[in-house]
Amino acid sequence: MAFLKVFVRKAIGGLVMIFVVASFTFFLIRLMPGNPVTTKLNALLATGTPYPIALSKVSVMYGFVPNQPVWQQYLTYLGELAHFNLGESISYTGVSVTHIILSAAPWTIIMVLTGVIVSFVLGVLAGVIAAVWRNSWIGQSSTFLATFLHGIPQFMLALVLAYVFTTVWRVFPFGAPYNAAIQPGWTPAFIGSLAKHAVLPVAAYAISGYGGWALTMRSSVTSVLGDEFILAAELRGLTRGMRLRYIARNAFLPLFTTLTLSLGFMFGGSVFIESIFDYPGLGNLLTTSIGAEDYPLMQGAFLLITTAVIVANLLADLLYTAIDPRIRRA
Amino acid sequence: MKSAPLRVPLSDSEIEVSIRGLSVSYQTSTGLYDAIHDLSLAIHRGSITAIIGESGSGKSTLAMAMLNSVTFPGKIRTGAIDYADVGDITGLNAESLRRFRGEHAAMVFQASQDTLNPLKRVGAQLLDMARSHGLRDRKAILREGSLLAERMSLPASRVMAAYQHELSGGMRQRVSMIFALALKPRVVLLDEPTTALDVLSQSHVLQIVRAIHEERHLTTLLITHDMGVVAELSDRVVVMYAGRIMEDAPSRDLLRAPRHPYAKALIRAIPRLTGPLDRAQALPGAPLELRQIPVVGCVFRDRCTLRQSICDEVTPTLREVAPDHRTACHLEVEA
Ligand SMILES: Nc1ncnc2c1ncn2[C@@H]1O[C@H](COP(=O)(O)OP(=O)(O)OP(=O)(O)O)[C@@H](O)[C@H]1O
Ligand SMILES: [Mg+2]
Repeated sequence: MAFLKVFVRKAIGGLVMIFVVASFTFFLIRLMPGNPVTTKLNALLATGTPYPIALSKVSVMYGFVPNQPVWQQYLTYLGELAHFNLGESISYTGVSVTHIILSAAPWTIIMVLTGVIVSFVLGVLAGVIAAVWRNSWIGQSSTFLATFLHGIPQFMLALVLAYVFTTVWRVFPFGAPYNAAIQPGWTPAFIGSLAKHAVLPVAAYAISGYGGWALTMRSSVTSVLGDEFILAAELRGLTRGMRLRYIARNAFLPLFTTLTLSLGFMFGGSVFIESIFDYPGLGNLLTTSIGAEDYPLMQGAFLLITTAVIVANLLADLLYTAIDPRIRRA
Repeated sequence: MKSAPLRVPLSDSEIEVSIRGLSVSYQTSTGLYDAIHDLSLAIHRGSITAIIGESGSGKSTLAMAMLNSVTFPGKIRTGAIDYADVGDITGLNAESLRRFRGEHAAMVFQASQDTLNPLKRVGAQLLDMARSHGLRDRKAILREGSLLAERMSLPASRVMAAYQHELSGGMRQRVSMIFALALKPRVVLLDEPTTALDVLSQSHVLQIVRAIHEERHLTTLLITHDMGVVAELSDRVVVMYAGRIMEDAPSRDLLRAPRHPYAKALIRAIPRLTGPLDRAQALPGAPLELRQIPVVGCVFRDRCTLRQSICDEVTPTLREVAPDHRTACHLEVEA
C-alpha cells in the first residue's frame, strides 16, 4: 500500500507540474514582445479585414477573445485544455491543433521508439563488451567505435546516410514516409513501403544514440566491476553468466532513468532527422510551426513534450522503485 | 593449557595446502615489486593457522593468492600452491578454478561489508551459488544457510529474505561467513573476519568458527591482528613481514617464546587484555613499502636492534630452531 501512496503522491505532483507549465506557456505567449495575438489581429486588419471579423477569427484561432481581461482568457484556456482542445492552427487554417499533433505523433513514435530501442540494446551490449574486455582488441575497438559515433553530430550523420544510401547507392528511397503511389492501408505493399522509408531515419536515430549508451554503460560497468561484491561472486565460484548478470543489472541502473527520460523526449521528435528525411513527425511540426509563427500549434507541441517528459519522469521513479530495492521506503 | 605434546615430523598426508616458492608481484608506476617473495609454507590438515604481521606485510595478498584470485595490477609471478586432492591451483583451467572456489576452498575477505549483490536477497544469492556449483538439491543450501545463521545468532528467516542494505555491518560480515561455509569447503580462509563486530559478538562468532572447524575437520587460515584471538583459536602462527615469513611455529611456543626479533617486537607491541598496559611497546620505525624492500639481506634489519653486518649481506632463510619451529634470522636468538 505504501507503493500506491507514493504513486498517488507522485501522480498529483505530475499533474500540478503540467498545470504550471500550461499556465506558463499561456502567459509567456501573451507577455512576449509583439504579442502574437495582437500581431495576428493587426495583420488581419492590415489586409483589410473588418475589425469584428478579424477579432472573431483570432479568437477562434487561439480559443479565446482577445479583448477579454487576461484572467478570463486564462480560465477559458484552461477549460478548453481540460477537454484537450488546444485551439486551431494558424498555418493549417481551420484544423484543430489536437488533430494535427495526433496525426504527426505516430510517425515520430515509430521512428524514435524503434531508434531508441535499437540504439539502447546495441549500445548497452557494446558497453558491456567494452568494459569487460577493455584490455583486449575487441573491447578497445568497441570503445573506439562508440567514441567515434558519439562525436558525429546528428544532422551530419543523417546527411551522410541520406547521401550514401539514396544517392550514391540507391538502396533506400529518399524523402516522404511512404510511396505515395501505394494506397495506404493494412496491405503488405504499404507496410513494406513504410518500413523501407523508415530504415534510414531509424538508423540515423539509432546510430546517433548508440555511442552515448555504449560509453555510459561502459563506465557504469567499469565501476561495478571494481565493486567488492563482484570479487566476492568470483571467489564464491559463481558462473561467468551469473556474474555477468550481476554486473549488468547493477550497471544498468544509472542508465535506466536516462532511458525513460529519452522516451519522454521522444515527443519532441528529432528536428534534424525528420527534416532531412522529410518525415512528417513532431519535430518537423515544431519547426514548421515556429517558421510559420503558428503559436497555437507551438503551444500544443510544447505542452505535449512537457507532459511526456513529466509522465516519463514519473514512470522512471516508479519503475526504479521496483527494480532497486534500496529505493523502496515506507 | 596442556603441556606441549611430543612433535613428530609431518608426513605429506597431513598437509592440506603446500605453498612452494610463491612470489606475488604488483605492477606499480615505478616498477614490478614482490608483495610475496619466495614464500613456502605447509598448512597442516585440520589446523587453524593464524597469520599475523603489520599492515602491508602481505597477508591479504597471500590469502588471495591461495584462491588464485590475485588480479591486476597484481599477479602470481612464480611458485606453486598445491591443495590435497586437487593439485597445483595456479595451473587450473578457468572452469576447474571456478568450481574449486567456494566448493573446495572459500574465503571471507577483509572488510567484507559489501560482498552481496545489492539487488538480490541473501537467500536468492545462496541459490545462485548452489546453481553455479551444480547442487542437485538446491534448497539444501538454504537450510544450511539458515542453520549457520542461527548458530551465529542471526535471525535466520529475516536474514535470508534481506537485502544487503537492510543488514548491519556486523551482520554482513557474518553473512559473508555463511557464504564461505555454505558449500562445505575443506579449506576456509578468513581475512580479519570479525573487524566489524563488537568484542562480545566477535568472541562468540570465533567460538562458532572454531566449533564448525572441528565438526567439519576443516583446515582454516585466520588473518588477524588480535593476539587474544591467536592465543585462543589458532594451533599455529605464521609471522609475516614484507612478504616473507619471519617465523612459523605452534601458537603456544610462538606466543610464549618468539625467536625472531620482529616476532618478539610484534608480540610485545600488542597490548594484552590481561597484562599491564605499560608493557606494550610500540614497534620502532614503519613497515616497508614495496619498493623499499631490500633484495639482498634481511628485510627487517633497518628496524632491528640486533643488526649485524651479515644481515646486510646474506638473505636469511627459514631454518628449524626447535622442533616444528622455523625462523628466518641469522642470529641465535634466545627463546
Ligand atoms: N593493488 C595494489 N597495487 C599495488 N600495491 C598493492 C596493491 N595491493 C596491495 N599492495 C601492496 O602489497 C603489500 C601487501 O598488501 P596486503 O594487502 O597483502 O597487506 P596486509 O598484510 O593484508 O595488510 P593489512 O593488515 O593492512 O590488511 C602492501 O605493501 C601493499 O601496499
Ligand atoms: Mg589485509
